[in-house]
Amino acid sequence: MASHFVHLLLYSAIVAAFFSVLTRRERREQLRFGGLVFFGMTGGVLVLAYLMYPFPR
Amino acid sequence: MASTASPGKTAAALVAGWVLPGAGHAVLGRLRRGIVFFVLVMGSFGLGLAHDGRLALYSSREWLLTSMQVLANVGVGPADTIARVSVYGEPAYVRKDGDPDPKQEARIETFRVRWRSALSIYGTAYLWTAGLMNLLLLLDVWDLSRGRKD
Repeated sequence: MASHFVHLLLYSAIVAAFFSVLTRRERREQLRFGGLVFFGMTGGVLVLAYLMYPFPR
Repeated sequence: MASTASPGKTAAALVAGWVLPGAGHAVLGRLRRGIVFFVLVMGSFGLGLAHDGRLALYSSREWLLTSMQVLANVGVGPADTIARVSVYGEPAYVRKDGDPDPKQEARIETFRVRWRSALSIYGTAYLWTAGLMNLLLLLDVWDLSRGRKD
């Protein structure tokens, strides 16, 4: 599996799940924090990718 | 305030947590959390091995960087040693560049083959993440056993 995007989703999901269970006790809080980490990571990377798009490789 | 575990139980939880990710939480009575951590850490470790993750070798030429890499790998526990035996044919942790010993040459060549793999960057990130997550879990076990966390 050599897709950057799939690995981005997978890696973000693992990290988000880990930190939500590690730092939050309530299920609701875990979902909220996990979602925040997951979308923060994936969204941040996509925004960064678009910002870098005009630059040559 | 959360209760404090005895020193013996704390030590048992820390050792168990390193040997089997999540087991430290199980020893302290957090079985469900321990199972979730086991799945996440070993899932990340398995993904790392499946994607040709580099099992770092200590080198005196880059001692700081390579020792941190080895530490990140070792954090996952004995699973790292088993993975090294399966990849290198022995529990290899050190590389000696320029050493004429055929074992050393074979070790370095195996490392380079994995390095060249297109998947290696993903695999290495998963492996290091698994080890670092487990080291964080050991700190969490310590906090739980000291009564600083519920």
